Amino acid sequence: MAAEQALTVLVAEDGAADRLLLAQIVRRQGHQVFTAENGEQAVALFVEQRPQLVLLDALMPVMDGFEAARQIKALAGETLVPIIFLTSLNEEDALVRCLEAGGDDFMAKPYSAVILAAKIRAMGRLRRLQATVLAQRDEITRHHHHLLNEQRVAKAVFDKVAHAGCLAAPNIRYLQSPYALFNGDLLLAAFTPSGDMQVLLGDFTGHGLPAAVGAMPLAEVFYGMTAKGYGLAQTLREMNAKLKRILPVDMFCCAVMLNLSVQRGSVEVWNGGMPDGYRLSAGGEVLSTLASRHLPLGILAPERFDDSTQVLPLAAGERLLLLSDGVLDTADDLERLFGVERLQGVLAGNRDPAHLFDEVMQALERFGGQPRDDISLCDIRMFAADERVPAPMIYAERGRPSPLDWSLGFELRGESLKQSNPVPYLVQLLQEIHPLRSRTGSLHSVLSELFSNALEHGVLGLDSRLKRDVQGFADYYRERAQRLAALADGFVRIDLKVEPHAEGGRLMIEVRDSGAGFDVQRVLSQPPSEQGLSGRGLQLITRLGSNAQWCEGGRCARVEFVW
Amino acid sequence: MTEIHIDHKVLNDLREVMEDGYLHLVQTFLDDSERRLSELHAAKNADELGSAAHSFKGSSSNMGAVALAGLCQQLEDRVRQPPLYGIEDLINRIDLEYVEVRRFYRGEEHRISAG
Amino acid sequence: MAVETDFSQEGKKLTIKVKGRFDFGKHQAFREAYERQPDRPDSVVVDLKETTYLDSSALGMLLLLRDHAGGDDSDVRVVHASSDVRKILAISNFEKLFDIS
Repeated sequence: MAAEQALTVLVAEDGAADRLLLAQIVRRQGHQVFTAENGEQAVALFVEQRPQLVLLDALMPVMDGFEAARQIKALAGETLVPIIFLTSLNEEDALVRCLEAGGDDFMAKPYSAVILAAKIRAMGRLRRLQATVLAQRDEITRHHHHLLNEQRVAKAVFDKVAHAGCLAAPNIRYLQSPYALFNGDLLLAAFTPSGDMQVLLGDFTGHGLPAAVGAMPLAEVFYGMTAKGYGLAQTLREMNAKLKRILPVDMFCCAVMLNLSVQRGSVEVWNGGMPDGYRLSAGGEVLSTLASRHLPLGILAPERFDDSTQVLPLAAGERLLLLSDGVLDTADDLERLFGVERLQGVLAGNRDPAHLFDEVMQALERFGGQPRDDISLCDIRMFAADERVPAPMIYAERGRPSPLDWSLGFELRGESLKQSNPVPYLVQLLQEIHPLRSRTGSLHSVLSELFSNALEHGVLGLDSRLKRDVQGFADYYRERAQRLAALADGFVRIDLKVEPHAEGGRLMIEVRDSGAGFDVQRVLSQPPSEQGLSGRGLQLITRLGSNAQWCEGGRCARVEFVW
Repeated sequence: MTEIHIDHKVLNDLREVMEDGYLHLVQTFLDDSERRLSELHAAKNADELGSAAHSFKGSSSNMGAVALAGLCQQLEDRVRQPPLYGIEDLINRIDLEYVEVRRFYRGEEHRISAG
Repeated sequence: MAVETDFSQEGKKLTIKVKGRFDFGKHQAFREAYERQPDRPDSVVVDLKETTYLDSSALGMLLLLRDHAGGDDSDVRVVHASSDVRKILAISNFEKLFDIS
């Protein structure tokens, strides 16, 4: 007999001759045998020898087989120790008693060696099966703990990366349920150097580690580029390219990204695969939806990526609501989905923005019967005119003295105007001027404003008075996209000159365009409020820089920064 | 005459299985059986009688004493239907049958001890 | 069978039909449906008539299929999608990659 099939067997039988016979039969079949005369001895022997199989006479003195069986089964715990009752009792209730006491089989007298061998073999198989199940269960538990630990570590690293931004800004309210992060939901927010706020709500496919892992490179690109002043389109292009490169084909990231500009009073939106976001009035009324118009990030090759954005006006106090798909996907026990209508019902019924999230979560819990643990919600309010926008952090370095006597001319023509925004590069260059480091924000704002004026009003000939209302905004930006696509000629030239001046130095910025110019006097003489939404931001330029001038009929703008 | 009292197939299996332990088994059975018979005779009520009959039935059948086992089964069944008239008759027949069985196994004892 | 395939010899068209929930549980069967074909099909049709539900892992599987069938040069059609399924495909703008009807 194979070694693994030889068992230790306990034989408990009160008849001496029967006991002898049975023990011998079992021994001859290759097993090791211990014998007991009554139930009490049987239990004691079981504790001492821990046999793998028990043959138990039903009727024994001192303690009968039924009680012995119960005790042995209890002692065995989760290990399977088969018990075969030795009994000639053939009334059904007697047999039922055997089963209820924990018996796995019966053997009648006279003992048959053949039948006993068959039963022992069958019990042996059952025993091994149970042992395998327990071993596998334990192994699974070990792996599970291992996995949980890995996830804990990954989450700790991830939290540091994901929360490097400005989610704590006073105009952002957000909610991320405990498992949202680990289900691939990503919420990032950061200020650009000019004080615009960029926000991204993303949702990676998958759950757990695979979903969270893709979030780190994405966050790096987001924070890096936002800090340098790159706009939505360029940042999205870079994020898409990175994800396309590093993620497997079937993984991608749905995302909605915003750029909130206080200066321009607008929000720029790109939504690829996320549920509709909402633009809400200060009172909570839905003004427009931010619908998904693009494929999620990480699917298209760079040359096919569509970075076109939607621009909407956003007045002080108005809000943007972003949410992950966990909200709409919540199902009740009839498998109906919470859906857009119910959400809009909650929005309509909301009176106090501070309670909106609670109301949404409660509505979801009532509907679905249990609280959700994987939802992301984000509510961003446009700053009021008199609110102080938190300044972005500037990295200041002492060290090499900065070059203070140089000039640079940079001209973008035709095709290049369609693709490139030179402002971030130039601002980085200007960061070499150490005394100007602390005014990087202003530099960025001024350069951006001058460049976009030159491009949009100069080269493309767009009239900013179009941007009066929502429809006007849409028209304006659609017109912009069309004219830009059709552009063949035209140029914008930026000249930078740095020279020593008095005790410090001076930076002169000159921006020229190939457009028709404008009536500088008329625009400057308009009251500031009219310049607000639709002006050329001339006020901004005059305020942030010094000595702002417009010449050559408005085709050339000049401004200085002095230190 | 042993054919009626002892099943020879069982007997052969016993001899084969027990090997050198056959003698000991025979001796144990004989001692055991004396005790069981006493229990039978000493039984004071139906339960005790039934229980004793049941045990004796078991050990006899293992030793191939089929007629004896059969009688014990009859006794076991009979005690479940009170009143127990005529039960002494059945007990007597068990005594008589055991005499035959004992005779045979004593013979076995001698055979093996001598050989 | 939750995932059925049909290969037409003349048109070299592979049809893959997904029944019930199109989610991660179908991953292996779906991949085998297009990987196990001896000939490279000219076009692939994914029939979602009996598909009750589609999640993001199904979207990923469609991307894998498209990649296998030639990427940007592939001809993959998604047909008979119910309105619920179409909504999910629409939010992700998958009609920019697949012909959906």
